[in-house]
Amino acid sequence: MSTPGETAGETVESAREMLPDNSFLIQYPHVSRVVRSLFLTAFVAFGIGAFMGVLQALHRTGIARIVESADYYTFLTLHGVLLAIVFTIFFLAGVFTWANTRSLDRPPVSKRFTWFWVVTMSAGTAMAGIAMLAGLLPSIDISADVLFTFYAPLQAHPIFYIGLAVFVIGTWLAGIDWFRQFLAWRREHPDERIPLQSFMVLTTMIMWFIATLGVAVEVVVFLIPWSLGIMPAPNPLLTRTLFWFFGHPIVYFWLMPAYLLWYTVLPKIAGGRLFSDPLARVVFVLFLLLSTPVGIHHQYLDPGIAEGFKFIAMTNTMFLLLPSLLTAFTVVASIEHGARQRGGTGYFGWLKALPWRDPAFTGMALAGLMFAAGGFSGMVNAGMNINYLVHNTLWVPGHFHLTVGTAVALSFMAGAYWLVPRITGRKLYSRPIGLFQVVLWFVGMVFMSAAMHRGGLAGIPRRTAEPQYPQVAFETVAGSVGSLRLQLAFGGVLLFVSALLFLMNVGLTAMNNKPARGLDSALPPALSGPEQSPTVLDNLKLWALIAVVLVILAYSLPLYSIVQGAGLYPAGQEASPAVIAPLLEVIA
Amino acid sequence: MTATEAEAEADSAVVGDDVYTDGTLVRDPDIEESLSQDEYDPKGTLALLLVYFLILALMWTYMYFVEFLGNGATVVG
Repeated sequence: MSTPGETAGETVESAREMLPDNSFLIQYPHVSRVVRSLFLTAFVAFGIGAFMGVLQALHRTGIARIVESADYYTFLTLHGVLLAIVFTIFFLAGVFTWANTRSLDRPPVSKRFTWFWVVTMSAGTAMAGIAMLAGLLPSIDISADVLFTFYAPLQAHPIFYIGLAVFVIGTWLAGIDWFRQFLAWRREHPDERIPLQSFMVLTTMIMWFIATLGVAVEVVVFLIPWSLGIMPAPNPLLTRTLFWFFGHPIVYFWLMPAYLLWYTVLPKIAGGRLFSDPLARVVFVLFLLLSTPVGIHHQYLDPGIAEGFKFIAMTNTMFLLLPSLLTAFTVVASIEHGARQRGGTGYFGWLKALPWRDPAFTGMALAGLMFAAGGFSGMVNAGMNINYLVHNTLWVPGHFHLTVGTAVALSFMAGAYWLVPRITGRKLYSRPIGLFQVVLWFVGMVFMSAAMHRGGLAGIPRRTAEPQYPQVAFETVAGSVGSLRLQLAFGGVLLFVSALLFLMNVGLTAMNNKPARGLDSALPPALSGPEQSPTVLDNLKLWALIAVVLVILAYSLPLYSIVQGAGLYPAGQEASPAVIAPLLEVIA
Repeated sequence: MTATEAEAEADSAVVGDDVYTDGTLVRDPDIEESLSQDEYDPKGTLALLLVYFLILALMWTYMYFVEFLGNGATVVG
């Protein structure tokens, strides 16, 4: 498909000179290189993680058992860590670097510092990745089959925990880099409102700084000394609680870059304008305040935490629905604005005026639709009574494949179709393949996630290589367990094909010799601009302080009670598997 | 908003051709009009969200049957 003005024989290099002066690539070639590097790591992790995913879908349904069941948990750990931590956070770092630079209209303060955090994050990822992959090689005494939820008593090799710690430090440095960039801008613009994209980056990073304190304490104080054999096994409930202190806000850390794309890029793609800048700011402030003091809702079935603390966590969690519902209104109203500007009419007829042939638009719209469905299953998870019905069943992965697996991952893929030409100067290789790919992801997820939810209601457990037990017959509400297994595996295969098409399309775009066109980096201003909101919304110190107070209120008593109950290192705790002890014996 | 974004308020930047010529949006100037905040009433959004809330209410009703009528009592602790 040719674009206006394209001439035969034109190369990317010669066309680059013809890009508009305010295209991101021309203004910030160095930042574009940083973003490309971050995206590359994200997409490599995505490819490996997706392959692990399809292996699991085929294995646990009994359709094709290519690996030993004992190795299933290595694949499960790789799938979880590579997709939920590496893919999401490297992509986030790329989007935030782009968005902060674009909206502040200035590059990061120090090139060297920016590359330093990129290298730190990458080094941490490589260490954790080596530990996980080594689990597949029996000849090497290194493994990390501890799943994405890396708490005691399952133990990984120290290199896994040290890698995670280095990775998290890398993300902190990235946050510091974005704040320095903002402060440099603030010195030149003392009285201006924080540009919206930068506001989103900064509030998200404050939330991340608070949330990662839990995992930092868990890993550095307890897991690393334990895995090195220096300290005894820690209290499992304590490490679980510290993990979930971080484990729920990370959900919003995945989601915030998707929201950034929905709020600021999607209206432009739809031909409209963001409905309300103040509402967008309120939403990000609410996520900063409410993301962290809710982690205990992952522990409704943990003995040792009083029901009252769980009830407080549930109440906080239900408040989190508010910013999500505000987002549903604001984002839909913004794309409706685009449709009506382009001739759309009626209560539902305007939907026809949306650019459905554009994979960036369709991908994000379908991701939003899936998120609406995930909102329902999330409410079920969050409710203490109904959670008991689905806890640790296949319902739960069904839920988070709608949220992180589609609302986030599909938005990232769609966003990449829009953003990759902007940071490479190269034309998207194929829009039709892109469109097919995002729809295929949606269809695959409908099959897989619906089957998981229904299997969960029937009581089928999650995280099990062979959930087939001769003495137990799972009873489904409708249809047979056999049909659910087929749907799960079929959906998983469609998702894997979709992932391959995405990687191929983006890879060929990166090598495409046809130049991209019209990469104007301006985003249309909001219909209701920031001047219509109180300036207190931009008071980041105030919101950070309130967020910390809420965390102290929600966590101080439960943590005190856990430590009082079983202590930091209860006697008789054994690690499984013991990684270092045999090595020490050999040395001795 | 930065100065750059404020400058984009000019109509040409909001609905200009070259903003979208990377092929993400096919625009037709004959039918296109610029809608300001006062002229725009997001009634389609209201309709879609009402449909969503209706689905949520039906799903909750369904959960009542699954939780309370489909199983025995869940007792924890």
